[in-house]
Amino acid sequence: MRGYLLRRLPSALLVLLIASVLAFAVLRLVPGDPAAVLAGPDASPEAEAAIRARLGLDAPLPTQYARWLGDLLTGDLGPSYAIGGQTADLIGDGLGATVELTLGALLFVVVLGAAFGILGATSRNRWVLGTVRILTTGALAVPPFVTGVLLVLLFSVLLGVLPPGGRVPLLTAPDLGVQYLLLPSLCLALPSAAVLGRYLKDGIERALAEDYVRTATAAGIAPRRLLWRHALPNALPPVVTLLGMQTGNLLGGAVLVEAIFAWPGLGQLAEQALIRRDYPVVQDLLLLLVTAFVLVQLLTDLVHARLDPRIRWE
Amino acid sequence: MTELYPSTPTALSRRTTLRAAGGGTLLLGLGLAGCRSAVSEAEAPAGQAAAAPKRGGTLTVAINSDFTPSLLFAQSGQSLQQRLVYNTLTRYDDRLKPQPELATSWEYAKDGRSLTLKLRTGVTYHDGRPFTADDVIFAVKNLQNPLRASQLRATAAAVAGFEKRGDHELVLKLAHPVNNLFDLFEFMILTDRNSVEDAVTGKKLNGTGPFKLTRWSPGAGLAFTRNEKYWQPDRPYLDAVEFRVVPQADALLSSLRTGQSQLSFDVPGNNLATVTATPELTLSEYATGAGALYLGVNTTVAPLNDKTVRQALAQGVDRERILKQVLGGHGLASATPWPKSSPAFSEAGRTHYTYNPGKARELLKSAGHSRLDLPLLHLGLPGDTAVAEAIQYDLKQIGVQVTLQPTDPATAQKKLISQSMPALWTMGHGFAQVQPSTLAVSAYPFNEAKNTSRFRSAAYTEVVREAWTTPETDARANALRRQITDTLLDEAFIIDLVIRGSVQVSAKKLHGVTLNKFSYLNLDDAYLAG
Repeated sequence: MRGYLLRRLPSALLVLLIASVLAFAVLRLVPGDPAAVLAGPDASPEAEAAIRARLGLDAPLPTQYARWLGDLLTGDLGPSYAIGGQTADLIGDGLGATVELTLGALLFVVVLGAAFGILGATSRNRWVLGTVRILTTGALAVPPFVTGVLLVLLFSVLLGVLPPGGRVPLLTAPDLGVQYLLLPSLCLALPSAAVLGRYLKDGIERALAEDYVRTATAAGIAPRRLLWRHALPNALPPVVTLLGMQTGNLLGGAVLVEAIFAWPGLGQLAEQALIRRDYPVVQDLLLLLVTAFVLVQLLTDLVHARLDPRIRWE
Repeated sequence: MTELYPSTPTALSRRTTLRAAGGGTLLLGLGLAGCRSAVSEAEAPAGQAAAAPKRGGTLTVAINSDFTPSLLFAQSGQSLQQRLVYNTLTRYDDRLKPQPELATSWEYAKDGRSLTLKLRTGVTYHDGRPFTADDVIFAVKNLQNPLRASQLRATAAAVAGFEKRGDHELVLKLAHPVNNLFDLFEFMILTDRNSVEDAVTGKKLNGTGPFKLTRWSPGAGLAFTRNEKYWQPDRPYLDAVEFRVVPQADALLSSLRTGQSQLSFDVPGNNLATVTATPELTLSEYATGAGALYLGVNTTVAPLNDKTVRQALAQGVDRERILKQVLGGHGLASATPWPKSSPAFSEAGRTHYTYNPGKARELLKSAGHSRLDLPLLHLGLPGDTAVAEAIQYDLKQIGVQVTLQPTDPATAQKKLISQSMPALWTMGHGFAQVQPSTLAVSAYPFNEAKNTSRFRSAAYTEVVREAWTTPETDARANALRRQITDTLLDEAFIIDLVIRGSVQVSAKKLHGVTLNKFSYLNLDDAYLAG
């Protein structure tokens, strides 16, 4: 397993290096600069130049890149240009919120996805099958910004049982925090849960149609044991890969959901930083996101390798 | 015959599945029953009758963009916190007459070249340090620093010297007379000189105001607690104030409707009808005119270098429709920048250009054009796009085809400052709500020396400089204001469309809220009751 991991590492590092160059360059290609935003609409050219010099934006681009990468490697993310405060603090605050939201959503994805998959594959009841189909199709077809508004309308405005937005950190007050977390994580989870459910349903159906299952059934093995011991484990490896990919989707989708539910995560931070051309914050965020993707991918591959011995020997 | 796959797992797996799903939900909903409710927790404490001011409670304010400490000394989209943490020297009443705050009295020298200020005694900063004349000197010098990017820098720079007469009396010596010094005093927050660098990074805001900042979580909001040693006896009434960042308009409205927040100035115009239909909410409007929508014209692009063409555009836009459709009717359609509270306001000026497509076509024809193609830059945000589309539709009726160029705020700002706007653009401007001279020396689109329209005229410069330096009470002041207005209307390099009012949406139980002319929130007398 260690050898497998070592084989994967160089390509992961290369991806990170390319991502850092792109994150740095792409931002500079976009018109508009932080000095202009900070200088404000009545600034004189001298004021703008003074701000640019203070931010180090008057240095040549390769120097700026080298400076950024150097600071990054020594763990110093430096100050934010426009938002204020230290970049590390800004990202740290947002990261906690986004991780909380993503984990909450992941829990919903697993629970709802399993429910959709298992019910869809094994139920013989027309009503149950119909409901599962409608729910999964709906969850996939309706975009999160519509689902979000509908959830708020139902649970906050009409029923008044859950708050429409904001966040109380789970670690600070778990009982309140979970109530703030429920709607955004459900909204974020629904499309992924539907995808996962469909995959799982197909996998279980395929496994249950295998010859050995029929033989086992004939031999009188209990159906529950068949499902949990044989069909599910065989259907699982591709689903785990998919779950890894969906985690990436969740991180990306969080941007929108965070806006709808006023959830102060990285998505909101990225939007603010981008609008104000806060280069350090956007660059570090982009790199963090790519790192997260790479790590999730590595982890998924490792779990996959564990579940399927053929991959380890490839 | 063998079935394709056994049907018996159904019942079992369904039960198992439901159990699993139930478990998961339970896990997520940990202690939902029997614990505190986030919904009732968010609501302000229930009060009794609204008869007398009531102490205590937390006010939650919904804002759509976060506090930006680096813009602490500039007028930005989010200035509400300024007056919670800090005080200003004076504050205007409804008729632009200055009232004492940290300055208790003031006296101009006869030649208008110096002003003596008496300062309030017994005022301390949140860290306990007493407020003195040195803090005022620092505040003025701080705004003169180009790094602070303050819009009122030109006015601050007119203060050339200081003469301290003890800790609580100070003479400001002016390089030349200016008549908008009290605009500066309304705008200039008195920060602690020892921690100003911590203030512009958001680490620490140390002021003399009614509330202390206890926490700023970027993207989430700000928390303030009552300043027990505030110089106004028995104020403030509220224990705490929270600003919650809710960028999405629907979410912001939900937060008000569900009582999660009790005050906001950021509900978009087209959502205000929902507010009037919600019994717990009330809507009020400040006619300060702190913001106005305009159509900017680049006067160096042919044929817009011909003022007849610019006048045709001014005549061809339906301001009333923009007011109704984009701002929900809250504001004032006007061809001049001045709100009704401004000494420069006149009804004749306001209605100088009213929607008249026939006349607009005639003007274009007289300038030798029947069809024009022009680009129009606008911010790619919903409200701004709606304004741009309305302009596009109206101008099409008079034979001007407009291509929209949606742009993000940072790029638009850069183009505004570097004078690289295309032929047309639409944005908002401020600074018409105070002394009229401030507009022409502080609002970039109107700046006589350097503006985005690249409009230069010796006559305009002369009248602006004279209007700035003539005492406001002088008989000539009125004539000069009229001249500025006439120039703006005649040259039409900035075509004003609608003056926005600050629309306040608040819970019925909230009382005593006010805004100053620069949209600083004053909660000295605010309370929750009823």
